[in-house]
Amino acid sequence: MVIATTGDADVLLPPVTTTTLGSNVADRIFCRLAELTLDLNTVDDSGFRPVLARSWEHRDSTTMVFHLDPRARWEDGAPVTAADVAFTFAVYRDPAVNAPLAPNLAAIDSVTAPDSATAVFRFRRWYPEQLYDATYHMRILPKHLLDTIPRARLASSEFGRHPVGDGPYRFVDWQAGTQITLAADSSWFLGRPHIARLAWRIIPDLQAAVSALLAGEADAMELIPSRNQLERVQDDPEIRLVPYASPFYAGIVFNLRRPPFSDREVRRAIAMVLDRGTIVQSVFGRFADVAAGATSPMQWIWSDSVRQLPLDTAAAAKALAARGWRLAQGRPVRIRAGVPLRFTLLVPTSSQVRQQAAVIVQDELRRLGVEMRIQPVEFTVMERRTVGGDFDAAFVSRTIDPSPASLLQFWGAGESNIGRYASPAFDSLAAAASRARSRAEAGPLWRRALEQLNEDAPAVFVFSPRNNAAVGLQLENVSIRPDDWLATVSEWRVRAASDRGRERAAGR
Amino acid sequence: MLGFLARRLALAAGTVAAVVILTFTLVHLAPGTPMLGDPERTLVSPETIARQRALFGLDRPLPAQLARYARNLLTGELGESFTLHRPVARVLADALPNTLLLGGTALLLALVLGLAVGALQALRHPSLWDTALSAASLVLYSVPLFWLGLLLLLVFGQELRWLPISGMSDPTLRETLSPLGRALDVARHLVLPAATLGLVQGAAFARFQRSALIESLGAEFVRAARAKGLPERLVVLRHALRHALAPTITLAGLSIPYLLAGSVLVESVFGWPGLGRVAYDAILSRDYNVVTACALVTGILVAFGNLAADVGIAAADPRVRLEQ
Repeated sequence: MVIATTGDADVLLPPVTTTTLGSNVADRIFCRLAELTLDLNTVDDSGFRPVLARSWEHRDSTTMVFHLDPRARWEDGAPVTAADVAFTFAVYRDPAVNAPLAPNLAAIDSVTAPDSATAVFRFRRWYPEQLYDATYHMRILPKHLLDTIPRARLASSEFGRHPVGDGPYRFVDWQAGTQITLAADSSWFLGRPHIARLAWRIIPDLQAAVSALLAGEADAMELIPSRNQLERVQDDPEIRLVPYASPFYAGIVFNLRRPPFSDREVRRAIAMVLDRGTIVQSVFGRFADVAAGATSPMQWIWSDSVRQLPLDTAAAAKALAARGWRLAQGRPVRIRAGVPLRFTLLVPTSSQVRQQAAVIVQDELRRLGVEMRIQPVEFTVMERRTVGGDFDAAFVSRTIDPSPASLLQFWGAGESNIGRYASPAFDSLAAAASRARSRAEAGPLWRRALEQLNEDAPAVFVFSPRNNAAVGLQLENVSIRPDDWLATVSEWRVRAASDRGRERAAGR
Repeated sequence: MLGFLARRLALAAGTVAAVVILTFTLVHLAPGTPMLGDPERTLVSPETIARQRALFGLDRPLPAQLARYARNLLTGELGESFTLHRPVARVLADALPNTLLLGGTALLLALVLGLAVGALQALRHPSLWDTALSAASLVLYSVPLFWLGLLLLLVFGQELRWLPISGMSDPTLRETLSPLGRALDVARHLVLPAATLGLVQGAAFARFQRSALIESLGAEFVRAARAKGLPERLVVLRHALRHALAPTITLAGLSIPYLLAGSVLVESVFGWPGLGRVAYDAILSRDYNVVTACALVTGILVAFGNLAADVGIAAADPRVRLEQ
């Protein structure tokens, strides 16, 4: 199967890769102890299936024990052992490695290996997502191949470009900027994948990538972030679109350090005047949803019933007037004490859809007497300015984890909360939700936390795209897990009568 | 001749050094920060990024970074890519041959096309052929590279399916092919990107070649050659065309920057893994070491192209003395 993709990988080593392709490839080579099932239930243990760990148990409230599957082997034949698990934890947590996901492991105190088949995780406290944290953020690494490499050099080591793993696919070849190829491991302990080869073809231009798909040079594509290109694919009789819940949402984040957004009522007024349904319809057609809040349809807490501020221009105008922002006769912009109600919105030049949406937002705010200047900036500039607090408002996009705890990463205390939103009410709800023992108990609490965010309006959550993977009709048994679209690829099949011939060419 | 080459090489070395210092300084002063993670995709904490910056020495003052870079450069060390986690020299070693193959093929195609069409027009001047080819070359010359690439891709790749759309080789067939088969596979993948670059540049060459040859054909020395009773073929090939080559050779030398710049677009459209794409991605992600190294290589190629053009003109026109 040839997969068209628009960006190359940085490195094929799970702790340090930061690119989409790097993760997509490395995730096929390296396994987790357990995997989430398709419904992405992160709260209790029922949402997981065994992979490297054959079983697990909670020894007490802060200790989990994993029993490894004795059949699991590294590509070189060495068994996967508990020492590998302990080594992996040490690598992820080592500041010299600088693993982006290391903060997600903060609640794990230690990982030990009392024997080769048993890994013991000790947590700093009890919480319901212990299994999720123990398994989701780490892919197990081969200690016997990596422990001689200085940790600070892991990312640039040869292993990162020629990885040896324990997963359903083995690394074959990486031609920088062109393609990466993996081959199915015929002896994989959980069963040989049905598709013999996976080849990612790197085509930076989206239109050209879609053309490669339409011309039969590629068999699949993760997502197509453009309405025009989606419509091209939709008309092709040899390709189908497989919809799946999106892990993204995008919204306008306000900088609460600065006026006028330090004033909650101003933020609420702006949120109430934006007709997000119209924005989404204009920019995406039917390929996106209005965001329910700081979540995406991928997370189990997503619900259309999450309460949001109403669309009410009159109430918004009244609220602004009550705060002293008044429209003088014949003036287009509200003024208070001689200061006009205006701000600048940073939009990344890399996102055409956010630039289009920003123009509609600008028009809607103008009607309220708010002047919004749009400043398109390169992504790196936007990153520097938002992290440094040098912005009024920024149109950002976030890819979130399956766990609702990601809400705390972006809106709780910490540097990633770029607008510096702070609310004891939100923190308290999120903390209670994090401690809830089941989805039934946690769901309402998380939704109330979302509603608190919507009420306080530290951001206007505008859209969440409806993702569609494009796959050739010759591919069967295709299911997609939203956080990792190829998570189930070892179960995909190629129809025997396929005329595209790639499987034959790959030696099947 | 040797004195000329030594002077020009010294000048070229100075120019390349200036280009490197300027690029290093500008790219560091440009707004933005090296993208050591994509916060819209994976949450990379600012603390993690700060540690990464310290690791690469990006937290030091600019003059200190420049001095360190210059010291490393003098020992042949180009540093490490922040985003690719690879030595920059290896990144360039992967990409440069591909760009040279693409640019060289495109230049060859442009020269053949430009000389042939320009000569045909000049010899048929004035005629309907001349007018039609002038119009055609003007249109081609005016077409944006990106647009032409997409047009060729849609017609010959997607619709007719005669030629591959992207990459340098077929990802599934490559391993089953013989060395000759692989070379032919690369050649097939080369057709569309090289044609995109070569057609536009060839149109420019044709326009220059036409004008120069028309002028040559009316010159005194051509009339003298005819008066000597030389056959027309020899008059054109040995006298007029040789004299008229100078502008095209100059243009060919000067077109190297154009081909390198154009390769950024063409490599992106056709997924050709060359230097242009490496440079473009590095600029977007503020991968300072890679950007500076790309400027270094480009500077060397441009200096070499200009030098080669000067030598070529001297070879084509005996009246030109390099020492002058």
